[in-house]
Amino acid sequence: MSNNTQTETNNKLTIKERKNMFRRWIFFAGLGYNFESQQAPAVAFSMRKALRKIYPNDDEYIAAMDNHYKYFNATPQMGNVILGATLAMEEKDGIKSKDAVQSLKTSLMGPLSGVGDSLFWILFPTIMGSIAGYMALQGNPIGAIIWMAIYIGLYWVKMWLFNLGYTSGTKLVTSLGAKINVFTDAISTMGLMVVGSLVSTVVKVYTPLKFQTGKVSLSLQTEVFDKIMPGLLPVCLAALVYWLLGRKSWTPTKIILLIIVICLAGSFTGILGIAK
Amino acid sequence: MPVFLQNVLVILLAAYMAWDNGTGNQVTGNWPVIIGMLVGLIMGDVSVGLVIGGTLQLMSLGVAAIGGSSIPEYGVATIVGVFLAIRTGASTGTAIAVGLPVGMLTLQFDVIMKIINNFFAHWSQRLLHEKKFEKMDLVFYLTVFCWMLKYVIPITLVVLFGTPIVKAVLHIIPTWFTNGLTIAGGMLPVVGIGMLLRYMPVKKYLTYLILGFVAAAYVKIPVLGIALIGGAAAYAIYRHNAEKLTQQSVAATENDVQDDEGDDFDE
Repeated sequence: MSNNTQTETNNKLTIKERKNMFRRWIFFAGLGYNFESQQAPAVAFSMRKALRKIYPNDDEYIAAMDNHYKYFNATPQMGNVILGATLAMEEKDGIKSKDAVQSLKTSLMGPLSGVGDSLFWILFPTIMGSIAGYMALQGNPIGAIIWMAIYIGLYWVKMWLFNLGYTSGTKLVTSLGAKINVFTDAISTMGLMVVGSLVSTVVKVYTPLKFQTGKVSLSLQTEVFDKIMPGLLPVCLAALVYWLLGRKSWTPTKIILLIIVICLAGSFTGILGIAK
Repeated sequence: MPVFLQNVLVILLAAYMAWDNGTGNQVTGNWPVIIGMLVGLIMGDVSVGLVIGGTLQLMSLGVAAIGGSSIPEYGVATIVGVFLAIRTGASTGTAIAVGLPVGMLTLQFDVIMKIINNFFAHWSQRLLHEKKFEKMDLVFYLTVFCWMLKYVIPITLVVLFGTPIVKAVLHIIPTWFTNGLTIAGGMLPVVGIGMLLRYMPVKKYLTYLILGFVAAAYVKIPVLGIALIGGAAAYAIYRHNAEKLTQQSVAATENDVQDDEGDDFDE
């Protein structure tokens, strides 16, 4: 098989080509998202050039690419690791690795997205969002600028993750998996403290109602609720929403609409007022 | 800046936002506070942009598009709100009241685009089998272009026709209605907070949730300070658990060795 040895000398990717693959993924990961194969078009787009070099043979190329048109969905920032590992496998074993590549992709995207979603979509935006949002309300753009700067800096972190996937490949799950879990677990305490503070500072429920008995008037908000506990009404509201979200029939959008209706009714009847 | 140039830049920002938010790049994403700042910059009033963006940011905390699920488009709401507030002089509450429905309608474009993309995906794979490899990239760029339309279409409509409509509507809306929406603006962050709590290990780390609440409600520590305390707690817990993990793995390997020896003895 002289043809085979020929391909093996040609199919090593240069650093530049690997970086090209990484960029094609990170700048296009969620574009082309569809309900059937989700991020697959972007996966195919990012792998296309690199795989063409690995498989100069048309039929092998088509077979390998077909693999990447199958369902794929991962946090884009974490998808790097998986695609890096995939690339390393295909570079090493060629078309023989086809099934292994597919099972690697399906087995890695769940756990890595679990970590990635909670880090990149929940914890970090919550912490940065509450800090930057607060500063912005006072007309201060620094929070927003820092947020952008950190996200630009994350580019190199993502590059590092990609290289990590490329160099350690399949070993990654076993060696790093447990450590990453410990990390997310710990950092969620930070998230929970911030969320706890948000309940009392960000959520505003205020009632202008007053009880009038003869000459004495009693403000429900300042002299009853605030005396029991600061932020009593927001805490009750948060508990209610948390409970509703656990019920199947209530989606976030429905809850948003419910709150808007309650607020309009409350404003009309004078039970709710604009918080001071 | 001339009005025409502002209009063009706002539409371009919408296109960029659709692209950036769909990737792992996320320099602006569709985070309201960042987008608000940028629209404010274009429109010549950064402070209005920051206040509206900041309000929407706090409202949207934690309402994340996990796994490609659909949520109101707060970024679009921000662009619409800031644009109209600066053009018409509407208050923050009104700007948000106009922006949010547009953001919710934009969500429908998102669903439509994800259906259309299905067709592009099949087209691209068909080209692969026809060995028209170069064209596959073109089809993908076409998808990207269509994807941008999901924000560009609603924003363009608002930029072209929004100002007179909003001005007319402002005269009709009764005060209790705008007040009600302002109140809703204060209460809505609770949805995001509820969703966050659903994703987080609340039962395991209830202590820290309560600590965060007490620090803010009673001690009045600003959120950055609370984040720092949380960071310290997270670091301590990470060190503790990581140590436990290495001890476990060391113990596990020692056990393996002993087991092997045991097997040897049995033989």
